[in-house]
Amino acid sequence: MSKNKVSIIGAGNVGATATYYIAEKVIADLVMVDVAGGMTQAKALDFLQAGPLRGYDVSIVGTSDFSQIADSNVVVITAGLPRKPGMDRMDLLKVNAEIVKQAARAIADHAPNAIVIAVSNPLDIMCHVALRSTGFALRRVVGMAGILDSTRFRYFVAEQLGCALSSVHAMVLGGHGDQMVPLPRLTTVGGVPITELMEAATIARLVDRTRKGGAEIVALLKTGSAYYAPAASVAEMVEAVITDRKHLAPCAAYVRGEYGINDLFIGVPAILGKNGVERIVELDLADDERAQLLASADAVRKGVEELNSFFKPT
Amino acid sequence: MKRISIIGAGNVGTNTAFFIAEKRAAKVLLVDIKDGVAAGKSLDLMEAGPVRDYVTSIRGTVKIDDIADSDVVIITAGRVRKPGERREDLYRDNAPTVRAIAEDIRRLAPAAVVINQVEPIDLLTLLIQETLGADRMKVIGVGGLLTSTRIRYLVSNALGVSSREVTGLIIGPHHSSMVFLRDTIRVSGIPAAALLGEARLGELIEEARTAGDKILDLAQRSTSFYAPGAAAAMLVDAIVGNTRALLPVSVRCEGEYGITGLAIGVPAYIGEQGVTGILQLKLSDADREAFDKAAAELKSAHAGLVAGAA
Repeated sequence: MSKNKVSIIGAGNVGATATYYIAEKVIADLVMVDVAGGMTQAKALDFLQAGPLRGYDVSIVGTSDFSQIADSNVVVITAGLPRKPGMDRMDLLKVNAEIVKQAARAIADHAPNAIVIAVSNPLDIMCHVALRSTGFALRRVVGMAGILDSTRFRYFVAEQLGCALSSVHAMVLGGHGDQMVPLPRLTTVGGVPITELMEAATIARLVDRTRKGGAEIVALLKTGSAYYAPAASVAEMVEAVITDRKHLAPCAAYVRGEYGINDLFIGVPAILGKNGVERIVELDLADDERAQLLASADAVRKGVEELNSFFKPT
Repeated sequence: MKRISIIGAGNVGTNTAFFIAEKRAAKVLLVDIKDGVAAGKSLDLMEAGPVRDYVTSIRGTVKIDDIADSDVVIITAGRVRKPGERREDLYRDNAPTVRAIAEDIRRLAPAAVVINQVEPIDLLTLLIQETLGADRMKVIGVGGLLTSTRIRYLVSNALGVSSREVTGLIIGPHHSSMVFLRDTIRVSGIPAAALLGEARLGELIEEARTAGDKILDLAQRSTSFYAPGAAAAMLVDAIVGNTRALLPVSVRCEGEYGITGLAIGVPAYIGEQGVTGILQLKLSDADREAFDKAAAELKSAHAGLVAGAA
């Protein structure tokens, strides 16, 4: 078995922190690629020099040279700009679609067998960019959103009940945005649905906080956005692929008819393993849950239509 | 660092020390009356430490007095069950040892949270609590937690998914009459019945119910010890970290689930002080009936033993 290799495109806070979490698990050699080559090299060196103390003997390369990602098992795309004041949605979409496209084409050239995990925002749309510009099979491109949304929900539930984080599991479907669909009846403490443990009003408050989880952190930080929880979610997905863990978790996966939705990346429960999305699990949804999911899918579809108005994959 | 004493350096005791060392920082004391056994196994574990990066110290002793001021005491001393054996017979053999250990704990480490690994779990957990005269919430029996880890594994294996996201609660006696709360058997929150079908889930539940016997049959001379050690280490994690993890354990009930004066498996939040709360779930009619029947049998076994001793 040759050593596993994971590449992270974009060495900002999310990319670098994901590199850190993955290095700590000692499951793969790492490459961080960023147009800011010096900064990326510096972060890699800094990580390597922490290695003797933290006990990770993995190689970590920081570079601006995309060819260094050659033969990666997994490539994560975190590159993209945050939305700046005064920038409209469409401008951001155009800028990030171009950045993700360049990353995806580099992956197709240098790491043609990799599983691609998209992280850049707007997430569901960037998954489409990554899929089209790599030309990879549908199941080899997956987006990181549901694990982040559900880890936030899990934290809020544990905090509310004063119980261990490890006892809480959660399921959040739909697009990564205000229209995500947290499912309280599938969110449990030790397997007991929170609907049996909390008042409906409390659950509604936690659901709302989960929906706005990213914005809450942005508002506190003033400049910048969350990166520890997003990076931890990336590391979880990378680990699932590298170790072939068959992790059942919500991910942005390309659906073809599942949940009555066609040809769209959207958050659904999926089994993650060495082949990427190995299976999409179709749940029986209640009418209101289905309606929320379809509304969320409509929002994603509108974004894809915006993308289609200008985007050329190659 | 927290001080954790493990009484009995057999397979369960030693593997409990092993799982603790692999995961956290603590001072572990392994006690066994057999000269050299605890010291030898501790030394072997510590010599693995440089390779496995242990920050835990493990020491072995024959002197029970060394458990003084422990934060947690784990009792694993007792003989194991024979195939098909009644819980009353096992109780008669193990009760004197366990009672003597509980008296030592009362004298030496009265503030400790006590974890009981000795079968029959529920009856001996009650005996320990009564002997200690301690807060009932500080004495915890490893029963349902062991079966829970087994059903979690079996479900993950049947579905081909990772076991980390699988949950499952068990209540009632740690005995073939235990009650699996089907609706809590889930994967990432999704009911296992929806993924496997009710019939297949039922088969796995029956497999988990007799999993201990299967290992006894396969290994012949020994009962299982990896999963029991892992279950005790998991309780130690929750106690030392004060996490309030929700785990199915045996604890003396006083009104919860309609039970008074008996230790029995219930879902409980576990933290620094032991059981920090018992979660009272509304049971389905079938679960209620099965639980009541199993609890009545346990109560009558207990009454018989008390009458026999008097």
